[in-house]
Order: sequence, then structure tokens, then C-alpha cells
Amino acid sequence: MELDYRLEHPLALSARGEIHGFTVLLGRSGSGKSSLLRAIAGLLPAHGTPFDGLPPQRRAVGYLPQGYALFPHLNAWQNVAFALDGSQRHRAALEWLARFNLAELATHYPDQLSGGQQQRVALARAMARRPELLLLDEPTSALDASTRDEVMAELVAQVHDLGVPALAVSHDPHLAALADHLLVLHDGRIVQQGPPDSVQAQPANAAVARLLGRRNLFHARVEAHGDGRGHTRLHWPEAGLHFSLPRHDLAVHSWVDGTLPPHRVTLTDHGGEGAVRARVARRMALDGQWQLALHCGKTLLWAYLPGTSPAPPIDAHVYVKWSASDIFLWPPAHADAAMQRENDE
Amino acid sequence: MSMTGALAEPGPRRARGPFWLASLTLLLMAAPFAGLVAVTHWSAFHFARGDAMAIGVSLGYSLLALVIIVLLGTPLAWWLARHRFRGQWLVEAILLLALLTPPLAMGLLLSALYGPYGPIGRWFEAANLSLTNSAAAFVLAQCYSALPYYVLAARAAFEGVPRELEHLALTLGRSPWQAFREVSLPLARFGLAAGVALAWVRALGEFGVVLIIAYFPQGIPVKLWVNLQDIGLHAVYPLLWAFFVVAMPLPLVLGIVARRREAA
Repeated sequence: MELDYRLEHPLALSARGEIHGFTVLLGRSGSGKSSLLRAIAGLLPAHGTPFDGLPPQRRAVGYLPQGYALFPHLNAWQNVAFALDGSQRHRAALEWLARFNLAELATHYPDQLSGGQQQRVALARAMARRPELLLLDEPTSALDASTRDEVMAELVAQVHDLGVPALAVSHDPHLAALADHLLVLHDGRIVQQGPPDSVQAQPANAAVARLLGRRNLFHARVEAHGDGRGHTRLHWPEAGLHFSLPRHDLAVHSWVDGTLPPHRVTLTDHGGEGAVRARVARRMALDGQWQLALHCGKTLLWAYLPGTSPAPPIDAHVYVKWSASDIFLWPPAHADAAMQRENDE
Repeated sequence: MSMTGALAEPGPRRARGPFWLASLTLLLMAAPFAGLVAVTHWSAFHFARGDAMAIGVSLGYSLLALVIIVLLGTPLAWWLARHRFRGQWLVEAILLLALLTPPLAMGLLLSALYGPYGPIGRWFEAANLSLTNSAAAFVLAQCYSALPYYVLAARAAFEGVPRELEHLALTLGRSPWQAFREVSLPLARFGLAAGVALAWVRALGEFGVVLIIAYFPQGIPVKLWVNLQDIGLHAVYPLLWAFFVVAMPLPLVLGIVARRREAA
């Protein structure tokens, strides 16, 4: 399904992209993601396809807002039956509930259901409407961290079973990883789209990388060319670092966006050429590795270390280093002003 | 304390101060009615001539006024709850004016407008419908005195209904009217019930406005005044007891049901 929407209020936004299968639109909080969904559902004035010009009650959408908005005065089957007409609505509602493994909860009221159960009732209700498009607003926001991935995987499987395209808006990179198709919203427009693995592999710019949860993104100034070895010298002001890269295609005095993958940052016992002194600000034991946040100038530099080795304590001073080849720079044409604006904020 | 303990939720130990203060306030509020029990001549309890008629007038016309108030006030309350617009202060001012105006003055204003020589009253007179000293005038007076109370309570009730749920009803294929009927109204029902109770009490007890534009037919408040003037204090008490008996059930039941449902 082709999506092409333009909004003026409450913020200017233009979203153009493909929706197929379980599509996730990734964007920062306040970037207008929820407004876009409300516009597609006909709840905000906007123009675009699909459903242009139709009142909300005539748009075949299944809309699941944040928190699911189940009607608190109706029990589960009555909530589902709300979308139905005719004498068979009770039976049809029960069938929808059974399809989502909720038959035994038919007479429960929303406040008697868990977050995941509420989401399934809301989905059953949305599906009972026979939508052409499902719209999900931050579907992970009301879920416990412990069950989130499981519930979302189940949701994605259900969406596939139902055969209805779904557009989920989120700021959660975990959800983006589950998508069939990914749209990335930044600065009021879709800046990248594609299968999540290809977007993950090659984020179009630093802003996209940040939305995907990448760390150690930087904005650096090209200081000078040539130190006799064909290198270019750059300055990363936030970290107070100067470093050289084997590049000669960067214009002096221009700004570039780049990233240093945290798992490429290593700790050394002592200083030396290329080593940088930093102080341990935070340390987290996650997924069998240490994730260290290191104070480096005015920014935090992340280093991922194997969980098998001991990690330095908080406030310890350490030396870190990396290889110049580990640094990735976005082509200057793509290193747009977005990153600078984000840094300014 | 068994009265407070039975329905109390588990929680930190309660302070005694609020209990004694609340008891004192309740005592002050109950005192006049305890006095009424004492001063009523129970052995010679009887109604004055016309009291039964007054009870019928009050009950019947107040019910009619209540229906009109709900029909007129509900759309206005919903509109006020859901819309923000330039010049809203003017609407607020009109509501406040209706609340603030002393009943006697309101009666005079209504009389100037709806009386036989008033700009609207003259028109009704031509159609043979008098808006003074008539059943219509009685209901008119009650509507004017109770409508603003209902509108304020109903507006607060609608403001408590999440807008999102009304919007969601639209996305589920319901028309705006169906969304109002099936979502807004049921979710606002307890607040609306409180508004109905408030309007009922206000309409039934209205004296000042009614005195000016509808001295006849006499409802209970005016008849209490007439009994006091024509017969004496002892003729007031039986009718006052009757007033309590007819006025109390509706707000009492609405209040109890609403609180129970909210607690559930």
C-alpha cells in the first residue's frame, strides 16, 4: 500500500513510503508520528492517500492508540462488538476473541486485563472493523520490559496471519528490528526506508543511526589534509579529540558525521600513541558483555567489552583506543545539518 | 470506629483530627432538622388546605422542568466541554450571570421579558399562552434557576470523558451521534446524574423566581410562605416534611448509586 500524507498542524510533516506486512515508522518522540497516524485515521486535518477526504467513520482503518483506549464501561466482547452491527454481533465478537485466545476473558472489563491482553482485545476490536490498514501507535509503550519482545513478536505473527498491512509508529529500535519494512521519519519527512536489516546495515545518516539506537555518533570538523601519509586530520569537539583518517576526499573546514562502533573501542593499561584517557561514568552488564559509558570531554563514549573480563569500577580512569579503520564517516553530502541540530538540542 | 471502618481501605492509620472536624460540621448541618423533629406537633400532624395540590404541582412541574433542563442543557454542556473558541469568556460570563443573579432579581428580569408586556411575553400572549402565573411560567422559572447548575455539572462530567475514546468510536465506524450516545453519555453518566440531582433540588426548592412570575400555581416553597402568612408556623412543618419526602429520593438514590459504581 502506498502512503503519501501531508500535515500542516500540529506540525508540518510529509510522509511518503510503502506499507507492506508489518511496517514500522521509526521516529523521535515529538516528531509527529502519532499525528501522522491520527491523520490517516481521519482524526486530524490532512491530505493524502489512502482515504483522502473521508470522514473517520468511513475510513477502513483499525486504529490502536497508545494505551489501546478500550472502552472502560464495556467488557471485552462488548468492546469488540462495538465495531459490529446486526443480530450476530455477540457471536461474531466471541469468534474474534477466540481467534486471539481471549475467549475465556470475554466478560472481563479492561481494568481486569493485563497490558498484553488489553492489546489483543484492542486488536480484535480493530480487526472486527474489517480494516484495510491497521494503525498502531507506540505498541510497545504500555508493555512490561520483561514481556515486551514476546508480546510484540506475537503481535507481528498475528498481523501476518490476518493478512492486513499494519503501520506501527514507534521510537523503539527493538520494534523496528521485528518489522517487514522500515520507514524512518526525521525532520518532518521519511529519510530512509527498506527492510530493517538493510537500514540497520547502512543508515542513511547519523540521525537515522541514532534512531536505530546506535551509540558513539559524532559530528567532526575537517581540520587539515596530509601529514605526509595521505591522512586527513579531524576534530571531534564534543570529545575534545583530534584524530587522523586515511581519507583525502574531505573538504577542509567542512563538517562530517561519523560513528565509532562501541565494540571496536578497547581498553589499554596505559597511555601511548592513539590512546585516550577517559573516566568510567556508568557500567552495565548486558547480554554477556560489559557496556561502559566513559566520560570523554563533554560527551559519553561507549565501549563494549567481553563479559568474561573484569570491568573497571565507576569513576576509574582508563585509557581507550581504537583503530582508524573502525571509524565510519557518512559521505559529506549526507552528513546534513540534522546531526548538528540534534547536538544543539 | 465501626462506621468508618467497614468501608475503609487498608492504609496508614488515620488521623483523628479530620474525623472530629467532619463530625462537628455534620452536627452543625443536622441541627436545624433535629430542631424540626423537636418542634413538629406530631400528635396534631395534619396538612393545610391546598398542601396536597402544592405537592402535586411541585412534583409534576419539577419533573417536566427537569426533562427540559436535561434536553437543553446536555448539548450545551457537551459543546462547552469539547470546544475552545475565541470569546469563550463571554459564555462563561453568561453562565456565571445565571448563577449569580439573586432569585428575586431573576424573577423580575423574567417578568420584564416574558410578562404580558415584555417583548417575548407579548408574543406568547397573542398566541394565548401566558408566561406569568401559569403552569408554563412555573416551569420557566424552575428552568431558569436550575439550568446553569446542570450545565456546569454536565460540562465537568463530559470533560472527564477522554476525547480519545470518542475519536476511537469514530474510527470503529460509528457516527458522531452514535459515538456520543454509546461512549460519551455512558462514561459521563455519574457526573450527569449528579447534575440531574442538583438541578432537581434547585428546581424543586426554587422560591424567589417563582414568587415573582408564577405565584400561581403554588408549589411547595410558595405554599410554605402562604401557610406561614395565613395560618402560622405550625402549618409550615407538615408541608416541609412532605417536601423532604418527595424531594429526597431522587438525589439520594442517584448519589448512592453513583458512588457505589465509582467505588466498584
